[in-house]
Amino acid sequence: MNELLFASLILYFIATVLQFTGTAMKKNALQRVARGVLAAGFLAHTAFTVWRGIAAGRLPLANQFEFASAFAWAAALMGFLLHRKLGQEGILTVGMPAAFLILSYAALQPREIHELMPALRSAWFGLHIGSAAFSYAAFAIAGGLGVSYLIQIRKGKKEEDAAMKQLDYMEYRLICLGFLLLTVVIFSGAIWAEQAWSSWWSWDPKETWALITWIFYAIYLHQRMRAKWHGKRMAILAIVALVMVLFTFAGVNLLLPGLHSYATN
Amino acid sequence: MRFGMILLAGIIACSLAGSLIPQGESAMTYVQAYGAKTAKILIDIGFTNIFHSWYFCMLEILLCGNLILCSIIRFPKTRRMFREMKRKAAETETAEPLSPGQAEKIRQMLKRGGFRQEGEVWSKNSIGAYGSFLTHVSILVVLGFGSLVLMTPKITDRTVMPGESIRMDDGTKVTCLSFHIEDKNGKLDYASLLRAESADGRESREQEIRVNEPMRFGGKKIYQQTYGTAGQALIHNDTNGAEETVWLTEPCFLSIDSRNGVYFQALYPGFIQEEDGSYTLITSSSMGYSNPVYSVQSIADGASASVLAFPGETLQIGEVRFTFLMPTEYPGLRIKEVSTALYAGLYFGFGLMVAALYLCFFMAPVCVRVNEDGYQVHSPKPQEGLKIRIQTAAEEE
Repeated sequence: MNELLFASLILYFIATVLQFTGTAMKKNALQRVARGVLAAGFLAHTAFTVWRGIAAGRLPLANQFEFASAFAWAAALMGFLLHRKLGQEGILTVGMPAAFLILSYAALQPREIHELMPALRSAWFGLHIGSAAFSYAAFAIAGGLGVSYLIQIRKGKKEEDAAMKQLDYMEYRLICLGFLLLTVVIFSGAIWAEQAWSSWWSWDPKETWALITWIFYAIYLHQRMRAKWHGKRMAILAIVALVMVLFTFAGVNLLLPGLHSYATN
Repeated sequence: MRFGMILLAGIIACSLAGSLIPQGESAMTYVQAYGAKTAKILIDIGFTNIFHSWYFCMLEILLCGNLILCSIIRFPKTRRMFREMKRKAAETETAEPLSPGQAEKIRQMLKRGGFRQEGEVWSKNSIGAYGSFLTHVSILVVLGFGSLVLMTPKITDRTVMPGESIRMDDGTKVTCLSFHIEDKNGKLDYASLLRAESADGRESREQEIRVNEPMRFGGKKIYQQTYGTAGQALIHNDTNGAEETVWLTEPCFLSIDSRNGVYFQALYPGFIQEEDGSYTLITSSSMGYSNPVYSVQSIADGASASVLAFPGETLQIGEVRFTFLMPTEYPGLRIKEVSTALYAGLYFGFGLMVAALYLCFFMAPVCVRVNEDGYQVHSPKPQEGLKIRIQTAAEEE
C-alpha cells in the first residue's frame, strides 16, 4: 500500500508545479487542472491513511511518519476547504507545496507499523495528536502566505491593495484557527500527562516548545491590534513563528529528547 | 499591552534557556558538559533550575497582575462595546459605494447569515464582545488553579511487591495483588491489580491500573509510575529451622552474625557462557529477565569469594542456606492526594479558555450599515472575509 503514499506524493508535486506555472502565466485553466491533480493526490493520501489505520488497528498518529503524514493531509484538506470558502488561489499556491514538502519529510521517516505503546493507549490520543496535526497545518499555510505576501511586496505590490489585504487576512484567520487548536493540544496534553505520569506539566522539551510557540502566536495576535502592525511586519512574524512550529514538530524530537521521544520512532 | 508583551517575551527567553540547558542535574553534570567556569555561572544565575528561579516566578506573578489589571480596566469597556459599535455604525457614513439594487442583495445575504436588523444597521455576535475579556480571565483561572494543583498535592512514591501491602499515613492500605508486563496475548501491558482499603476497613476497591488508568480512592490517585525486577532469596537456618524470604532490589548484606553472610551485588537479566567456561553478564535486555543470574559474594570467617548464583542454587554459609529464587517484576506506585475542587477549577479554566478563544476569533462582534448609497463594516477584528462575501453577494446576477 506504500504505492498510494508515493502516488499522492507525486500528485502533490505535479499539482504544485501546475499551480505555480498557472499562477506565473496567469492561466486559470492550468490552475483548475492543478486543483484536480491535488484532489486526486488527496484521495490517494486519504486512502493510504485509512488503510494504515485499519492495518495498525488504531489512529495512524503514533510516530513521526504517521504524524507528518497526517500533518500533510491536514494541510491539503485545509487548502481545499479554505479555497472553497474564500475562493482565493493564494491558499492553494501555498497549501499544495506545504502538503508536498511535509509528505516528502514523512516519506523519509521509518514506515514500519508498530503496536501502540502502552503510554499512548489513551482516550486523549486522537484529540491531542489530531488537533496538533491540524494546528501545525494552519500555521504552515499561514507561514506560507506570509512568504507569498513578502514576495508580492518585493514585486512592487502595495499593502493597501485589496488582494494584499485579503492575503494578510487569510494569514491572520489561519493563525487564529491554529492558535485555538494549539490551545486544545496543550490542554488535552496536560490532562493526559496527569493521567499517565501524575503531573500536568513537567517542562519536557516538547511541552516547553509548544508553550513557546503558543506565547509567540499570542504576541502575534496582540501585535495585530496595534495600528502599525499589519501586512509586512505580520508576514515576517508568521514566518518566524512557523520556524518555531517546525522546530517543535521535528527539531525537538531530534535534538532535545524527553518524555515525547517515542515520537521519533 | 506593551508591558504584557515584554513579560511574554521574558517567559519565552527563560523557556528557551530551560529547554536548551538540562534542568535539575547535579553540578558535576554541568561541569562535564560546559566546563567549570560556565557551569558556575549557569548555576549561580539559576539557569540550571530556571523554572523555579525567583525571576521566572516574578515574571509569572507580574503577568498575573497584568492580566488582572487588563481585565478590570477592560470590563466596563467590553460591556459598552457592542452598543457603542452599533451607535457608531448608525452615525458613520457608508464608505463602500453600491450600485442600485445591490443594497437589497446584501440585506438578503446578511439576513441569511443571521444578522439582526435595526434600521440601516445589521449586527451579529454581541456575545463575542466578551471573548477577549473572558480569554484573559481564563488565563488567570488556569494559572491560578494550575499553580495550586502543581504545588499542593502530597506525593508519595512507594514500591510494592506482588502479594504485599503498604500503609499510608492516614491508614489507607494498598495491596498489590499481581503485576504483569505482558498480557495473555503477549502484548505489552504493564498492569498492576491493586486493592485499596480505608483505614477502618469499611471501604475497599479492587482495580487494575496501568499507565493511563490510575485508581481513585478516598481522595487519592494511585498511579503505576515505574516497574522493576527484584531478586528473591530464601534463607533457611538449619539450626532452628527458621525460614525467611527476602527481596533483593539493591545491594545489601544478608548477614548471619554481622560478620558472615552473603553480600548481594546485582541481578543480571542474562549471561553468555564463553567457550572457556567463563561468563559474560548481560546488563540490560529488552527481552526481560529471561536467563537471570545473581552476582553475590559469600563471606565466611573473614574470607570472601565472588559467586554467580542461578535461580534454584543454594549457598551454604555455616548453618544457614541461601537459596536464590526466580526474580519477580513489581510496580513502583505514586500516590497523590488530590483536591477535586482544584481539579474542577483547572478543568473549568481549560474549557473557558477554549470557549473564549472561539468567541474571540470566530464570533467577533460585527455591525454592517447598509443603505442605497453603500455599506460599511464595523468590528474590532479584521472582517475581510465578510467583505468578500458582501462584495460577492452584491455582484451576484
